Amino acid sequence: MRAVSLRAPNEGPVRVLLVEDETFVRMDVAWTLRKAGFQVIEAATADAALEFIETGEQIDLVFTDIQTPGVLDGLALAERVRARFPMMPVIIASGNENMEYVASGLGRFVPKPYEPSWIAKIIAETVDATL
Amino acid sequence: MEMATILVVEHDILVRQPLSQYLRDCGYLVVEAVSANEARQLLSSGERKIDVALIGIRSVPSESGFALASWVRQNHPAVKVLLGGTMTKVLQLAGELCDDGPDGPVDHRAVLDHIRLLLAARERGRGSKQ
Repeated sequence: MRAVSLRAPNEGPVRVLLVEDETFVRMDVAWTLRKAGFQVIEAATADAALEFIETGEQIDLVFTDIQTPGVLDGLALAERVRARFPMMPVIIASGNENMEYVASGLGRFVPKPYEPSWIAKIIAETVDATL
Repeated sequence: MEMATILVVEHDILVRQPLSQYLRDCGYLVVEAVSANEARQLLSSGERKIDVALIGIRSVPSESGFALASWVRQNHPAVKVLLGGTMTKVLQLAGELCDDGPDGPVDHRAVLDHIRLLLAARERGRGSKQ
């Protein structure tokens, strides 16, 4: 029997924390990212995403929708990630293009709707640029 | 042979993520649901063919895992339902799936230990904020 291989920091596939409350959007994006070779942590709320981050688990990039149910929204999550991990890339999506100005101060803005394959490409470019 | 798809139903990201990744490491396709409502949507849409639903009795806060398991059995009889009474039992069931998985057996106990560490880290974090 193989032993489970838990990931050491800076090893293995790039880990993307995906925050999206719409079930099928999250599933499609996660599916596409996994096919592209990323490891994806799915969160339906920014609150759950922050809980995950706060355990100290390794994350390489955060991709979040702005509108998420719960206490925090995607912008508040991005602010907290920025404060704690200034070098971590954050990508922020919204169907409201008026949010671009605010979101751009915290990370890269992408308008919704989007093609999941486009998101995979943006994430790959972003990760390459930060290596 | 087509790779089997497992639906993991678990609201707690600190349990769902390591559990789902473990099953992926065993070679399965995994679809994640964070609530009973999401699980029903995913099954009813037919967007992905689900072979197995892995449910914990307390994995969704809005209702008992029993109720969800009964609904799945009634409405999607082709889906094999695995229902665990505790997190340890759910991990054991996942371990049994992995024993027959496309990529062979992987010991599930390290995943259980890892989940316990994550849950303990959360409790410590909550304690330090109070």
